[in-house]
Amino acid sequence: MELYLPVAEMSVNWAMILGMGAAVGFLSGMFGVGGGFLMTPLLVFYGIPPGIAVATQASHITAASLSGALTQWRRQAVDFKMGVMLLTGGIAGSVLGVYVFRLLRELGQIELVVSGSYVVLLGSIGGLMLNESIRTIRAARSGTVPPPVKLHQHSWIHGLPLKMRFRRSKLYISVIPPLVLGTLVGVLTAIMGVGGGFIMIPAMIYLLKMPTNIVVGTSQFQILFVTAAATILHAASDQTVDIVLAFLLVLGGVVGVQLGVRVGSQMRGEQVRALLAILVVAVALRLLIGLVRTPEDIYSIVAGTP
Amino acid sequence: MWARLAALVAVLLFAAGPVAADDLVSGLSTDLIQITSNFTGADIVLFGAIEPSEETGPAKAQDLVVVIRGPDLEMTVRRKARILGVWVNREQIEFTGLPGYYFLASTRLLDDIASPATLDRFHLGTSNLESTTKVKIDPDEANAFRAAVIRDRKREHLYWESPTGIEFLSRTLFRARIQVPASVPPGEYRAEVYLFQNGTIVSAQSSPLFIDKSGFERQVYNYAYQASFAYGFAAVLMALAFGWAGYLVFRQTS
Repeated sequence: MELYLPVAEMSVNWAMILGMGAAVGFLSGMFGVGGGFLMTPLLVFYGIPPGIAVATQASHITAASLSGALTQWRRQAVDFKMGVMLLTGGIAGSVLGVYVFRLLRELGQIELVVSGSYVVLLGSIGGLMLNESIRTIRAARSGTVPPPVKLHQHSWIHGLPLKMRFRRSKLYISVIPPLVLGTLVGVLTAIMGVGGGFIMIPAMIYLLKMPTNIVVGTSQFQILFVTAAATILHAASDQTVDIVLAFLLVLGGVVGVQLGVRVGSQMRGEQVRALLAILVVAVALRLLIGLVRTPEDIYSIVAGTP
Repeated sequence: MWARLAALVAVLLFAAGPVAADDLVSGLSTDLIQITSNFTGADIVLFGAIEPSEETGPAKAQDLVVVIRGPDLEMTVRRKARILGVWVNREQIEFTGLPGYYFLASTRLLDDIASPATLDRFHLGTSNLESTTKVKIDPDEANAFRAAVIRDRKREHLYWESPTGIEFLSRTLFRARIQVPASVPPGEYRAEVYLFQNGTIVSAQSSPLFIDKSGFERQVYNYAYQASFAYGFAAVLMALAFGWAGYLVFRQTS
């Protein structure tokens, strides 16, 4: 059951890693997020060095999101034009992120920054989502109809220049918000090893006001390319991609994601969102404990060839 | 490394001097450990014999020390401090000269075998390992950081110290079992055996041991470092192939 990872230079239980890939893939298919926010902490808890965990599991997200994006594409649920705009920002963001990642690693602060950003981002987004979905579920139960969302709600976003028509999203907005959003998520992909779906999806719904049914497919389309770019950049700049580990994660992931898509499509939107929110908040809490709790040994060692 | 070899040569010359001392022979159960895909660590055995010289009588205060030492690594040690409730890495010290793997077995506690000066001269025991820091720092600080490295490596089973690790099978025949964990750094190792008599080294022996990744593992590692861009590209292609295959397989069954 043991398999040696040539780049991480350690041996792992392959069945366990395969199972982790499948479980995270399942959730990722169900919720339409890459699942990186679960995979990175899981791999680190298992004992994989954080640098290798972040870089390697980007390829797991690549596989899971290709599988997912193709399924969504067949359902006509991808806005390619919007995807390309998000992607343009995303590639630039991941180049920047890989550079920042390297700098932080040299400073010895990468773990703090990774855990810290997880706590802040997951905590706030999870909290918001949980609040929103509980309200929707309650409203549905008590029979009151939630106030209808206006199709043409005008905000500051509509005042920005360089407007473009996104047919599938039924939007006519400036390209600046998708570009900025894409860049931000690209940075997160490189630093945190996440696809960024957990930020992208709420931002697309609440900020860009895209229709919910095409949000998942478009996000997966964008994540696919950004994680592919991040994998190549990490491999080239820090040699932190372990292809054997990636193989196990990918293999488990593609099976899991397909099952997840099926289960997710049979559930109600607000239930899916509430479950995802609970999961996100739980991961944030676990990482917060890790940051605050007194460590077993206040010294940490990194060994390398001189 | 050279300083250590020179010390060893000095010991051997000294041992071959006018004072007739017991002879030492030893060997390893293997001199090459291959890291294959199912590598979970290895157990090796060092065995040997003390051949008593004719002049010396049988009853003597003899002790043996066995050392297996791996390639030197650069160790970066960081110390955390609590800032606003969060544990953050603060001070950082880099050590060179510390081995990536260190195993020591002896017949008794090292301190009972020889004087601290002797142990220090031959760098025997984890507390006597030589190390240098890149920048000058307070010796107390350096010691605290160095102790942290040894503590951590012992926890990872990369450093061992076993005062009862040498087993005598007969009056002259001995054996030591050496456990090598899966996280062992590949490279050139040396196995050294020291024979102590009344607190001084009278004989020593050294033999090489190689730990190396086997064909596939080594190739993957080399590609990752030498053709890193193509390697990353290959990782992405693999992911895409699997993602697509997954989609195709499940599309047909649904």
